[in-house]
Amino acid sequence: MAVGGLRIFTMSPDSAVIALESVSKRYGSRTVVQDVSFTVAKGEIVGFLGPNGAGKTTTMRMIAGFTAATSGRVSVAGYDMATQNVDAARLIGYLPERPPLYDTLDVSAYLRFVAKVKGVVRAALASELERVVAACHLEDVVRREVFKLSKGYRQRLGLAQALLGAPQVLLLDEPTAGLDPGQIQETREVIRAFGEQHAVLFSTHILAEVTLICGRVAIIHHGRLLAIDSPAGLLRALEETHRVTLHVRAPAHDLRDELMSVKGVIDVDVRPLANNADVVAADCRVEAESGVEASIARVITRRWDLHRLERQQPTLENIFLRYVKERADVNERAAGA
Amino acid sequence: MSATLAVYQKELAGYFRSPIAYYVVSVFLLGTGYFFLYNVFLAGETTMAGTFQNMGILLTTLVPVISMRLLSAEYSTGTAELLLTLPLEPWQIVAGKYLGALTILVLMTAGTVVDLVPLYLFGTPETTTILSGYIGFLLLGMACLAVGLFFSALTHNQIVAALITAAVLLAFWFVGHLQTFQPSGTLRDLFGYLSFSLHFVDFIQGLVRTEGVAFYLIVAAVALTLSTGYLKWRR
Repeated sequence: MAVGGLRIFTMSPDSAVIALESVSKRYGSRTVVQDVSFTVAKGEIVGFLGPNGAGKTTTMRMIAGFTAATSGRVSVAGYDMATQNVDAARLIGYLPERPPLYDTLDVSAYLRFVAKVKGVVRAALASELERVVAACHLEDVVRREVFKLSKGYRQRLGLAQALLGAPQVLLLDEPTAGLDPGQIQETREVIRAFGEQHAVLFSTHILAEVTLICGRVAIIHHGRLLAIDSPAGLLRALEETHRVTLHVRAPAHDLRDELMSVKGVIDVDVRPLANNADVVAADCRVEAESGVEASIARVITRRWDLHRLERQQPTLENIFLRYVKERADVNERAAGA
Repeated sequence: MSATLAVYQKELAGYFRSPIAYYVVSVFLLGTGYFFLYNVFLAGETTMAGTFQNMGILLTTLVPVISMRLLSAEYSTGTAELLLTLPLEPWQIVAGKYLGALTILVLMTAGTVVDLVPLYLFGTPETTTILSGYIGFLLLGMACLAVGLFFSALTHNQIVAALITAAVLLAFWFVGHLQTFQPSGTLRDLFGYLSFSLHFVDFIQGLVRTEGVAFYLIVAAVALTLSTGYLKWRR
């Protein structure tokens, strides 16, 4: 299925461990998640990307069974989360945005509690705790009270509880938030290893993170799923968002021709500046390689007065804008048809 | 069952790894000890009747401290997100927590048994009346804690939960006094029936009446059912 030239994969529900079908969540008149559909299959890591407030956490909460969808259907391993959430809970490991820790317990007692509730039998309790403690590098703090843990340890303890009880699905809401670079690396390894056999959906607003370990990336903004694509597909979009903006005292037509002659400039859009008739603004779409802006500056300063030159980095925001714009175009075309 | 037990154990650990259990039990025992000494040695009463009456009021003021954190703290610290996404039915959460709070009640009650030593040494109290008083006290505590659990389920704020619980429990305690202004009729009966203290007086006097037992158990059952229902509904 293609939306505005972007691919949206739809997997058959049979292979999907997590499946969302036209899911919406409203709080009163406020719609937080709107008509979101996607699937995550076994052995797949899907990154959930979006700025703060995009609806990532609410979507995660609906999949985890913490909150119910207002409309649509969420299913995990075939269980309908509206009615069978307790059965499904046995198969889900969930790390909420804020690690859900009991400060009054020590690390071992906390993990023991979660393991027991998840149905880990007494005989397997010690080895199960050992496994997650080793996976999340908590050996040094096993006897420490939770309230004494540093932010990094708290985050890793949250991850450890999610791994308890051999879940088939891992839902991680910003699992690397608050970690130092070494810990981030370790956490990514845990996610990667788990994702080889199971389904993982993890949210973040760090683009680099998803491109490193995800098979696919879902982009959500203002509660709407804008696209699901592979990191490679996303990177292609990234490359197209490299832009150089400049303000020059020059005739618009000449400036356009001059800029198009510069190697690396793909497209130019020139418009007069509102507060200064002599100066025009040029918006150039350029190739990803660095140095294009230097070439532009060299060419322009030979003939005209260059007031300003700025390279817009390919930020997440730019990608969103691109996707949002494409969605708007699609809607416009649909309305016109 | 083991999941409910795990919640219960976690709840108890929460009480004893924080000052709450120690605070509540010691304040209660100090208070009860004072009233006991006053009633027995100053007022010269060799029964537990006066002490039970004071224990009842003390209990209604301390229950909010025990119950306020039960669910409010889970919401405010974010652990509700764990608890409600673990393989736990809402009733298991409510049951585990309620049993944890009841354990504190039992400990408080057990501590007052010390008071019986001088009573039996220096007097001849009626054992059945004392037993009946203790049954009434435990039933009263069960009803109060269930009400406290319900209000704790409704709010993120522990202080708000405690204040509402205290207000409601005191209202239930004193509602019997409204009978003074209503000499006859249905309203008078209703005030009497709803009164935590009037039912308790029967137990203190040695009367274990079905009506009293049923009243406290119904209050507890309704409050626990509402708490469970609320946990389901808030999804």
